[in-house]
Amino acid sequence: MLETSNSQGRFLELRQIHKRFGGVHALRGVNFSLHLGEAYHLLGENGCGKSTVIKIMSGALSPDDGEIVLDGRSFRALSPIQALSAGIETVYQDLSLLPNLTVAENVALSEQLVEGGGRLGRLFDKSRLNRTAASALDAVGLPKTPAFMGTVVSELPLASRQLVAIARAIATRAKLVIMDEPTTSLTRREVDNLIQVVNRLRSENVAVLFVTHKLDECYRIGGHAIIFRDGECVAQGEIAQYTKTELAGLMTGRVINSRRYRTGSPAASQLFSTDNLGQASNFRDISLSVRQGEIVGITGLADSGRNELAMAIAGIKPSTSGSMLIDGVETMIRRPSDAIENGIGYVPEDRLAEGLFLDKSIFENEIALIVKRLSNSLGIVDKQEGRRIAAKLAKEMRLNTSNLDMPVGSLSGGNQQRVLIGRWLSISPKLLVLHGPTVGVDVGSKDMIYRTIQTLAEAGMGLLIVSDDLPELLQNCDRILVMNAGRIIAEFDADKTDEDSLYKAMLASTTETVQ
Amino acid sequence: MSSSPFEGLQESQDGGVLSHIGGLIRRRPETITFMLLVMICVGVALINPAFLQASSLIDIGRASVVTGLFALGVFVILAAGGIDVSFTAIAAFTMYSMTLLVSKHLPGLPMVVIILTSVVGGAALGVINGLLVHNLKVPSLIVTIGTQYLFRGILLSFIGTVWIMSLPPQMGAFGRLPLLQFESANGATITLPMYFLVLPIAAIATWFIINRTLMGRAIFAVGGNANVAARLGYSLRTVHIFLFAYAGALAGLAGIIHVCANRQANPFDLVGTEINVIAAVVLGGARITGGTGTVSGTILGVLLVVVVNSVLVMIGIPSTWQRLVVGSFILLAAAFFVTRERMK
Repeated sequence: MLETSNSQGRFLELRQIHKRFGGVHALRGVNFSLHLGEAYHLLGENGCGKSTVIKIMSGALSPDDGEIVLDGRSFRALSPIQALSAGIETVYQDLSLLPNLTVAENVALSEQLVEGGGRLGRLFDKSRLNRTAASALDAVGLPKTPAFMGTVVSELPLASRQLVAIARAIATRAKLVIMDEPTTSLTRREVDNLIQVVNRLRSENVAVLFVTHKLDECYRIGGHAIIFRDGECVAQGEIAQYTKTELAGLMTGRVINSRRYRTGSPAASQLFSTDNLGQASNFRDISLSVRQGEIVGITGLADSGRNELAMAIAGIKPSTSGSMLIDGVETMIRRPSDAIENGIGYVPEDRLAEGLFLDKSIFENEIALIVKRLSNSLGIVDKQEGRRIAAKLAKEMRLNTSNLDMPVGSLSGGNQQRVLIGRWLSISPKLLVLHGPTVGVDVGSKDMIYRTIQTLAEAGMGLLIVSDDLPELLQNCDRILVMNAGRIIAEFDADKTDEDSLYKAMLASTTETVQ
Repeated sequence: MSSSPFEGLQESQDGGVLSHIGGLIRRRPETITFMLLVMICVGVALINPAFLQASSLIDIGRASVVTGLFALGVFVILAAGGIDVSFTAIAAFTMYSMTLLVSKHLPGLPMVVIILTSVVGGAALGVINGLLVHNLKVPSLIVTIGTQYLFRGILLSFIGTVWIMSLPPQMGAFGRLPLLQFESANGATITLPMYFLVLPIAAIATWFIINRTLMGRAIFAVGGNANVAARLGYSLRTVHIFLFAYAGALAGLAGIIHVCANRQANPFDLVGTEINVIAAVVLGGARITGGTGTVSGTILGVLLVVVVNSVLVMIGIPSTWQRLVVGSFILLAAAFFVTRERMK
């Protein structure tokens, strides 16, 4: 290891880092440096190399070429233990929690592991584990009671898990905390709290590196932007000096504006409506309607009942009271197959767990709903016809691959979402319910998904978008319904309102009247 | 946030005794094993009070030793998300080779050395398993099916197939060495042998490794999610090698005790009892998918299987029913755990 000059406060520097996966050149000579006490935002489309560069910094991957200068010492590659003992803590997108261990163990076990240089033949100190865990949990706003600390992580809701992962990163004396999309499942209040944690870390001279698609949060936190495109760092600088449009342009290499996508207008005829729909304690008195060619947005906090409503319409968790009308006919929807038969499509929020067969090909995923229709009396599937349909769908959805035999798991998030939407187009539904259609999807894919949504509406399909991405709803919908504590408490014309009014309605206590 | 992390806990506090027990079972699945064991013991004692005599309890204790040692090894591997079916072959290999070595070449070898050598020999064979699992990146089930055939094949082809009916004297003596001895009502002498102590000692050692050392936490971490564990700095290689070496060492120990207890060394012995042992561990609450389980659960599972095996005869049920009963228990317990999970 060579001693190199250690300029003031520079903690980590990447020099000409290259990484290849098989034939894919994922990183093409990446250079940047991180200083203590600063905040950084690593921005770029899915598949641009952000995750790879994070894994190289945290020691999970070795670069093929280049140099990592850490605290003035030069390395070819880092091991996880080297990175951790140098104070590089990472909150991975998948959280990297151990589901069968307790909260306390997940948060604080690393401290003792790293101290011993990764040696396992040592005793561990339980009371110290609990002390470290308690102070870290406190810092992220989680309870530090023995009952919570002893809970097994797999029993926690997703938002708490995300906070536990963050607590682990700050449990020890970190010098650099890397967070890969840390706010995807957090409520606004939890995000505010996280931003406070970040500010406190910076004041303690810790560097923080964010990877996120939520540009608003980047502006709120401030600091430096590092923008990636196709495995290269294309721009760096104070984030405040870039507009959103400029950032999106740098990330995609093309100009994407944040105008309203919605141009058409709905037909007069009613397509779908609900009458006093309710489900146990999740939602009640839901009366909404969607016309042909209309795009209706539904938003609300995570516990507002919006998710349950979407799943009730799709028959996944059926409603318990009230009724649904399709083309004016009252229709019972008790299970997903009822919804499909009545022309209701549902693109779930968690496409990985609920929607896609990741190790199956694009072709097989696209035709999953029409296999019956494609098969003859002997049950043999007409693959040629299937391929023709799949190719047509892939083209309509602008998938950026022509190889339909690629497993869906190898696609980027945006492409996976397009495969999923394409599958529903194969049965030409009357109503398509899109649940968080662009969660974890990059700017370029978002653009294409929005264009598709508009094309579908123009063809006469009714669309319900359930989402907490307010700009998305404002740009795409005709009307936006806000749910709060299980009821629809406000309705807005999407072109006559703004994010603030929507937020106010979402956060309003239900006793107030909202207008 | 409606989904408070405490919901589950509060639920079990508010919901009265039943859901309290439900919560306990969810946290400590071996409670079920314990209840089954108690029910069987009470049932058998009611039908045939002879069951409660010291002699039958001691029989059960004695019969638990070999299965229990195997089960502790299987538990540790299961906790890390792996599985081992080669431990019986390791036991057969070490016990037979050791007995042959001592009776043919080293008749004077002290018992302590014999035991230690068996343990080390078993561990060495286990290391082979560990290295193969780690370096081939093949599921441990496949690797250990391979090594089971391999170890057994080497034993029978190159070392010997002849039963050794007369053990070296120090081994025979160890098998008879009493820990407790008394006369029963009908005048027969009942002995709890010294080697019984090996099981509680091994159980405590395993408990200590699992609950007090970083290795124990690493084993559970790997069982929870091996990729994540590696990312967090746990060395998969160290864990894999340790696991299989530990299970191998316990198998070597079990093998030599098996010989001393039965006063003969049969090279065809032991292999074929793997499923019985894995059944005991699974009945003790460890999930086959890894990352769960406890030492106390494992021991309870072993007792359950041993009790079922030995008491059916006492209440007049043919011993061929034994498998049927154990099988039903496994399915019952599995169905019970699954419904608990769903209700949650």
